[in-house]
Amino acid sequence: MNCAPRLLRIQNFRALTVCLRAIVPAAAPFTSSHTHSPFLHGCSVQHSLRSFHGSGALQKNRAIAKDYEEKSEHEGGKSLVTHDDLFERVAQESRTKATFNRVLDVFVKQDIRRRGHVEFIYAALKKMLEFGVERDLAVYNKLLDVFPKEVFVPRNFIQRMYNHYPRQQECGVQLLEQMENYGVLPNVETKVLLVQIFGEKSHPMRKYQRLMYWFPRFKNMNPYPVPHELPQDPIDLARISLSRIAADLDAKVTVHQLPYTDITESGEEVSQPYIIGVQSPDQRSLLAKHNTSRPVFVEGPFPLWLRKTCVYYYVLRADPLPPEERTEEPIDPERCFFYPLELDVDLDRDLEDDDSFDVDEVVEGPVFAMCMAGQGDQVTLAKWISALQETNPVLGRTATLFRLESGPGELQSAAEPEPASETEAEPGPAEEAEPLRSQRMKQ
Amino acid sequence: MALTPMKQITTLHRGHFLTLSPSLCSLVCGKRVNFMGEYRRPGQPRDNTPPWKKIQFSFAKGVEGVQKHLGLLKDEMFQRFVGPQGRPLQVHMQEQTQVQWEFRGPESLSQWVVSSDREIGGRSEAYLKLGRNSNTCLLYGTLCSTPPRDGETRYSGYCTLRSKQPMMSFDRKKHYDWSSFNTLYLRIRGDGRPWMINITAETYFTHQSDDMYNYFLFTRGGPYWEEVKIPFSKFFISSRGRIQDEQHPLWLDKINTIGFTLGDKADGPFQLEIDFIAVCNDRAHTEEFAYEVYKRNPEV
Repeated sequence: MNCAPRLLRIQNFRALTVCLRAIVPAAAPFTSSHTHSPFLHGCSVQHSLRSFHGSGALQKNRAIAKDYEEKSEHEGGKSLVTHDDLFERVAQESRTKATFNRVLDVFVKQDIRRRGHVEFIYAALKKMLEFGVERDLAVYNKLLDVFPKEVFVPRNFIQRMYNHYPRQQECGVQLLEQMENYGVLPNVETKVLLVQIFGEKSHPMRKYQRLMYWFPRFKNMNPYPVPHELPQDPIDLARISLSRIAADLDAKVTVHQLPYTDITESGEEVSQPYIIGVQSPDQRSLLAKHNTSRPVFVEGPFPLWLRKTCVYYYVLRADPLPPEERTEEPIDPERCFFYPLELDVDLDRDLEDDDSFDVDEVVEGPVFAMCMAGQGDQVTLAKWISALQETNPVLGRTATLFRLESGPGELQSAAEPEPASETEAEPGPAEEAEPLRSQRMKQ
Repeated sequence: MALTPMKQITTLHRGHFLTLSPSLCSLVCGKRVNFMGEYRRPGQPRDNTPPWKKIQFSFAKGVEGVQKHLGLLKDEMFQRFVGPQGRPLQVHMQEQTQVQWEFRGPESLSQWVVSSDREIGGRSEAYLKLGRNSNTCLLYGTLCSTPPRDGETRYSGYCTLRSKQPMMSFDRKKHYDWSSFNTLYLRIRGDGRPWMINITAETYFTHQSDDMYNYFLFTRGGPYWEEVKIPFSKFFISSRGRIQDEQHPLWLDKINTIGFTLGDKADGPFQLEIDFIAVCNDRAHTEEFAYEVYKRNPEV
């Protein structure tokens, strides 16, 4: 039933190509220049050449026209093919940038008039994340190139006044919005394409201008920048995150234990998780002053987000001192001979010079060290504590309690030490670990 | 500047406008008719009940309301003898810093509204509670950026905390006057996620009711507190989640609310701890507005 009209169509098509072959050589110089550099021509030239627009493409894509015929025959007269389908057929092989580009090429060559390009672009935008090209500017530009050029440019003031080709413009805006959402800054090529497709004052062009105004402004605003591509190695990742949360440039990241997997002679698999810690000189001196009769706590895991990755860290801390034990240490005047570190004189402070905030301070216990480990169990963290003893001998004389939670906890310490929480922190194993550590210190 | 039909745009900040109205409705006098109406999810039938049927009169609530409003009225009448805004004149004139919100006790949490994309059909969760030492507030929950399957909403995944609009007696609006300060000061502890600070000011026209002034708040993460200073000149104006082309500085004389929004598309748990929120006067900061105002941004 379908056969007759299809045959007729193919016949027509061939006849058209044959007759175009005769015509085209004469028009070729105009058309080729016209398709390649539409910018250089004035308006009048464009208008006069307009009728040749399709023919130029036809001549160029003669082979593809044949391909199209084959393709339509291959599809068995199925007129309605979704574009998702096109992507999914390719995705069976592999989902890479190359295959994504190939789909775009196939679509562009399939039909010179680019029928259904809006639907195709919407489908492609949805599939970009799957193919892993959502942050690739070249792919966005190539996708924008799917729009036919100069068709949607308004040509008179009435068209310019109304929303010319609204569906296509919305599609273009949607494409730019996806770029915006993934943080891709468009470039000049995008602008040239947009001008070619939609004209100078179209909605996609305005969206482009907005992106170009606001993006560079907010680009380097984050005071704690995170790279887009985080390192795959967990040790490098831990290094980055620990130096970030240490909030001290003097803090030193130490690799206490490298990850290690081995099979012993008896066939057992022995694996050691990595342990990486960070401690700043200030924290070390705080720990040296710590009263050994009070326990220190290993708490965690606490989450830290680096863009879309979540890592967990553990904290060694103590409870805040009760108010009667708090003492202000006087600053040693001989610490610096060149200028006084503390001035006791009453500087000429005016009544309006009080810049302090009228709030009660939140009292929290001191933080002595932070670490990240491959496993969050007590054995691993006890190893960290024993490794810390090399630089902090106080830890050998202090009781260490583990307050580990199964899930990520909230980052807080109680104002007063709660006896209940200490009992639930399983002091038994901690005390067991105690003699072990002191033995090591003696060795 | 809506480029696409308004229906399609489900903005990040849409949730903010929803939460405020139910919490403020008073007992007998019907709530102010919201021009745009509440957010109606796609496919949800329109609520056609007439407003007089929504009135739920109860005697106990009435007595409570009278007590509350008369108490507020009494405060207003007698506070003016102490000084402007109930504080001595000397303090009012000489202060360089002012703590606006602090979290010291459970009643301080009642000044805040938490909402998430539940209202538009999303799956994020957000909760607010006092910290373990009850001196801070902890905003925690889970972010999930899967859009609801209603066929129209394209983006989802936000959690937000917003202060309530302060009210005088008889449900008249009260505003914060920060015109003698130029910097917002926060003491926070986050988990490395970026947040957005939203400030709404009193506006005159109805179409400005969704205007917000936004800036970003980056957290470092880790066990230490951070002190963040953000000059008010950095805040840019947006409406319904879209940055506006025509910018102008935030007018500080009538500030209504402040809010914190998380929407960084990273699915998972989050937490933000706030110690206090204050305003201060940074004398070293002289910038009036960080963006061009002599022309549209961008000029189109």
